[in-house]
Amino acid sequence: MAITVNTLWEEGSENLSLSIIAGEQYLDRKLQETTMNRPGLALTGFFQYFANQRLQIFGLAEFTYLKSLPQAEKVKRLEDLFKQQIPGIVITRNRKASKEILALAEQYKVPVLRTSMVTMNFVNECTVILEKLTAPQERIQGTCMELMGIGVLLRGDPGIGKSETALSLIERGYSLVSDDVTEVRKTTRGRLVCWANEVTRYHMEIRGLGIIHVPSLFGVAAIRRQTELDLVIDLKPPTGNEDRTGVHPDEIEIMGVKVPCITLPVRSGRDMANIVEVAALNQKLKELGHDAAKELDDKIINRLTKGRVRNG
Amino acid sequence: MAEETLVKKLKVLNEYGIHARPAALLVKAAGKYECDIFMEKDGNKVSCKSIMGLMTIEGFPGCTMTVTTSGSDAKKAMDEIEELFLNKFGED
Repeated sequence: MAITVNTLWEEGSENLSLSIIAGEQYLDRKLQETTMNRPGLALTGFFQYFANQRLQIFGLAEFTYLKSLPQAEKVKRLEDLFKQQIPGIVITRNRKASKEILALAEQYKVPVLRTSMVTMNFVNECTVILEKLTAPQERIQGTCMELMGIGVLLRGDPGIGKSETALSLIERGYSLVSDDVTEVRKTTRGRLVCWANEVTRYHMEIRGLGIIHVPSLFGVAAIRRQTELDLVIDLKPPTGNEDRTGVHPDEIEIMGVKVPCITLPVRSGRDMANIVEVAALNQKLKELGHDAAKELDDKIINRLTKGRVRNG
Repeated sequence: MAEETLVKKLKVLNEYGIHARPAALLVKAAGKYECDIFMEKDGNKVSCKSIMGLMTIEGFPGCTMTVTTSGSDAKKAMDEIEELFLNKFGED
């Protein structure tokens, strides 16, 4: 997915300490490849292989090299670089851009940004931000909570009690990520990260009460900006067909990622928060390699097989 | 409908006996009926509606269980429980 330099500017200017020093009107240039390139080799005149669709980073190496060139040669090399239709330049360590760079930026319509960060830190931080901006993303129905580091998504029909369950969990000291609408992003590691829509973040709607602001009522410990998703819990009216052993847990797919899924029957008077809490704890145990249901079943099968009755 | 009590001896035919999965199937089937359903072996008697009960009764492969159903829908319940035993609980 291609993004524009402007997207990076809007989303990352604060974390990356960026400022615009030239070509502000050309920020809509597309980053066809959402990564960075050090153009040192290109500045020596080598263009047989040049990643011209990436953001070009001018660090200490590039500046020191340019300084070693005679003035006329320096301008020519820079112009050759700008001719490659690069999407944008970032100058690190707050170095001053030379007059030549500023003039070429205007001439070739290339935005030039500057950061106070050293190159290595900038590249690391910018990689993370670019990955976030380009990761596949979806909006799904459900309330997301974090319990002891386990990300849980509560789903179910309207009125089944997602928000009420979330509220009980908050009172037990766990954290709200999002109420009812959850944004999900797939990371390059194949994990799902959930967070809340910017506008409604940390607000909840409770029937009969209306809208509440969770951190104002319960403190900042009651909220979490984002969480990795470990477990989906579907709240449903009882069918009598619920899983009774948990030996073969269900899985669902969200954006192509398999996530364990539990269906919990909701009856009036049943403490759903308590059950969700135990489900999360049990999931944590499973991730540590201890599957209680399976271990008990193996133990029973072992005993039963030993007691096999022949011709009985 | 008349209250009735049925007793049947059923043999455990599957490879591994009554472990978690067969126990869950029995509990789900039994749960649908009003009547009391018990399973007995070697003097141990447990409710067929309790998964923990069924897992402790030692339903070894090849052994015989005594199933009792009593209540208004005893016949239907017994038929379904028997069917599960005969089908080896859907296992080999």
